[in-house]
Amino acid sequence: MIRYILWRILVMIPTLILISMLVFAIIELPPGDYFESYVAEMRAIGESADMQEIEELRARYGFDQPLPIRYLRWVGGMLVGDFGYSFEYRLPVSDVVGDRLWLTILVSVVTIIVTWLLAFPIGIYSATHQYSWGDYGLTLLGLIGLAVPNFVLALILMYLANIWFGTSIGHLMDQKYLNQPMSWDKAMSILEHLWIPVIIIGTAGTAGMVRRLRANLLDELRKQYVMTARAKGLHPFKVLTKYPLRMSLNFFIADIGSILPQIISGAEITAVVLSLETTGPMLIKALQTQDMYLAGSFLMFLAVLTVIGVLVSDIALALFDPRIRLYGGRTR
Amino acid sequence: MITRRSMLALLAATVAPFRAHAAFTGSEALDDANLPDVAERLPVNPRVVNLGAKSMKPGRHGGVIRMLVGGQRDIRLMPINSYARLVGYDEHLNLQADILESFVAEDDRVFTFKLREGHKWSDGSPFTTEDFRYSWEDVMNNKKLHRGGIPVDLRVNGKGPRFELIDQWTVRYSWDEPNPEFLALLAAPSPLLIMMPSAYLKQFHPRYQSEEELAKLMKKYKAEEWGDLHKKMSRTVRPENPDLPTLDPWYNSTEPPSGQFVFKRNPYYHRVDENGLQLPYIDKVLLNVSSPDIIAAKAGSGESDLQFANVDFVDYTFLKASEKRFPVKVGLWKRTQGSRVALIPNLNCKDEVWQKLFRDVRVRRALSLAIDREEINKAVFFGLAHEAGNSILPDSPLFKPEYEKAWANYDIDQANRLLDEAGLTKRDEDGLRLLPDGRPAKVIIESAGESTFESDVLELITDHWSKIGFALFTRVSQREIFRKRVMGGETIMGIWMGIDNGVPTAEMSPKELAPTADDQLQWPVWGLHYLSGGGDGHPPDLPEAIQLLDLMKEWKTAGTHAEREAIWHSMLEIFTQSVFTIGIINQALAPIIHSSRLQNIPEKGLFGYDPTSYLGVYMPDTFWYAEDHV
Repeated sequence: MIRYILWRILVMIPTLILISMLVFAIIELPPGDYFESYVAEMRAIGESADMQEIEELRARYGFDQPLPIRYLRWVGGMLVGDFGYSFEYRLPVSDVVGDRLWLTILVSVVTIIVTWLLAFPIGIYSATHQYSWGDYGLTLLGLIGLAVPNFVLALILMYLANIWFGTSIGHLMDQKYLNQPMSWDKAMSILEHLWIPVIIIGTAGTAGMVRRLRANLLDELRKQYVMTARAKGLHPFKVLTKYPLRMSLNFFIADIGSILPQIISGAEITAVVLSLETTGPMLIKALQTQDMYLAGSFLMFLAVLTVIGVLVSDIALALFDPRIRLYGGRTR
Repeated sequence: MITRRSMLALLAATVAPFRAHAAFTGSEALDDANLPDVAERLPVNPRVVNLGAKSMKPGRHGGVIRMLVGGQRDIRLMPINSYARLVGYDEHLNLQADILESFVAEDDRVFTFKLREGHKWSDGSPFTTEDFRYSWEDVMNNKKLHRGGIPVDLRVNGKGPRFELIDQWTVRYSWDEPNPEFLALLAAPSPLLIMMPSAYLKQFHPRYQSEEELAKLMKKYKAEEWGDLHKKMSRTVRPENPDLPTLDPWYNSTEPPSGQFVFKRNPYYHRVDENGLQLPYIDKVLLNVSSPDIIAAKAGSGESDLQFANVDFVDYTFLKASEKRFPVKVGLWKRTQGSRVALIPNLNCKDEVWQKLFRDVRVRRALSLAIDREEINKAVFFGLAHEAGNSILPDSPLFKPEYEKAWANYDIDQANRLLDEAGLTKRDEDGLRLLPDGRPAKVIIESAGESTFESDVLELITDHWSKIGFALFTRVSQREIFRKRVMGGETIMGIWMGIDNGVPTAEMSPKELAPTADDQLQWPVWGLHYLSGGGDGHPPDLPEAIQLLDLMKEWKTAGTHAEREAIWHSMLEIFTQSVFTIGIINQALAPIIHSSRLQNIPEKGLFGYDPTSYLGVYMPDTFWYAEDHV
């Protein structure tokens, strides 16, 4: 087991190097650089930019140097904790990301918890009452949740919340609480705004999870040991939770790999529509304006989290599921 | 010799002694801030803004203005709107002394500036000629801070001014040759900075600071060199440093990054109203950062007290509807661009056949005549804009109707005749004219793809041009790629805006009319040649363009108002008669939404960056709330 874990960790290194090259290539692909898009934007609204300052910034951040050298500088900086400089914010990247990270984690964690709280009972109900009215009804609801694009839902909910409850449009709190220390009022304001993104981001996730749980559970429920247990008169709830439910949770553990990066940067489009102070809109804006260090370092950060997430879920699967632990190696 | 301008300045100086001697009143919001009395905070001779004379109402202190901005960097709007300048324009675009007590310009060569005695920066440090000296000697002439030497804007034929300190309150800049642009540059939305808060900035300058202290400061603010540190701490275009003293009515008190920027009143601001109340009336301005796409929606739900950025004419009906639900008012201001939308043939395009055609004035005129501007105005702008070629607006003293009407009427017959004369007589079976090399006349117009109304306009023009045997296709791209393709000559025609400053006076530079910059889409290569000082690009080879450039150079050394006015008129004549850009609509409207309690905002105004500095010339420091504002 330990050898397996060590080996997996070693494999992560070339993976990450490859990812860093890809990320760098992607952010370098579009023509021009941040300064050009900045100048063009200023000119489009009839303003001018200070060309001298821009030239100096360009030279200072090595934009005149060849690609490989710039790549090495970027990667080398990241290794020692220097994530580069955001031209848009004129601040080090770590300072820009810092504040937004906590709100993002808040939104994501609440969303994930709500998703689980909704998806588990519904999934179990759907599986145990297959083809009942309840199953059909909930499936329909779920499919609607999957099919309606998040941004449409976001616009509708935002409008209704504004008209009915007078909630201010967008954002995670009333704007008077921005920059203020946490207080009871501020927390209430956040709660008042939080339900919209949670519902929107949660709907699709809930529906997906319900369907997967239902399918996995149905596979198990048809197996003979379930029938035997039931025939022996075991309480139906115990029949359900003792084995079938646990067997059907593999997908859930495997999901951890993708949940980790999601917590840090989930649901970009919804966040853009709702103007949430999370990392998603920041990443998109950075990609649009070619704020390359901000975009690159953040993408890299997400990649690292994904790789770690996959590692964690692999190890967890091996730990929790004896089938994988005992037979996994043999099929190789 | 006394010129018109120095006359005006002298006049202004004699009116100035109308002092609100009696008693100055400061805002109550500052009462417990441990500041000296308001009379000591103001200069000995503050600038008295006589609101009654401007048919505005003098008001009272207090209140907060909330504004929405599309991103953190839009805090740059504050110094533009605040519009406290050494000299600035009033709402009729006359230059007047603002921060300065008076100024004298002799032959546009020697400029003498007189400061207000006792004027102070927002931190209370005195504002004197030392601040000009610091900026000139220790910043502009410092190789570390200004690698290329003093700014280009301060040079005439490559030579900088002589700088003289006359006394603590008087300073003089003199050139050997006239520099008519100097005052206009000081009055610009992003002005030429010739003074800096030296008392504050000296701590970041090695001439006044020990090396150890400087090293500590560099570490504290994460700068690698003292030059970077000095630049970072002294940035005024985006006021990101809360400690940097300013002369504006409000100073930023929030350190980025942040979702909200709080601009607080400057207790040492130099303007008072006729009742002796120190301006600004408004205590605080809050800039709330939001995503650009939902700003109109937020403004329409009463979340902004004053909004002009990120709302456009397409939002007007929605904003107007919100007047019923919220205490807001929506005004429509006139955009100052020479054209809200214009077709721009690329005279430097690589396609030689098209290049040759576009250089033929008859073709350009024909293409312009074949556009039914009235239909476009009615269909796309609800008939609220104005049909005109790319020229200047009636609000400019230089305006003549023949400029905007030049080749801007709808006359298919004349257009067809002109094209026939230009040699495009052959047509194919679909009625399309054939180019000299046999290709059908299919014009591909590229757009930056940012506004939907551009494609609406092009759709209509497709119809109009089919009557002269031209087919039109649209290629939507993305802004940078669009500009690159135009500059590289791959685009034969683009759709963009007309000249930026549609309300010029003779004292403003006519450089937009001549090939002077590489972002002029009709002649980027010629513009680049001028911009790079001949190092790059090609000199113009079209007689009219050469003439424009020569006239522009003449303007730069013209010594009198009459000469400059004459040059402007001949340039406008050539520019509009040659139809270098095919303007379609100007005076388009821009909505401005504001709290209905906010006073002194004109119902109608000119909306643009240069020269009106957005709200700047309408003096936001004189806006006030009629009732209590929460």
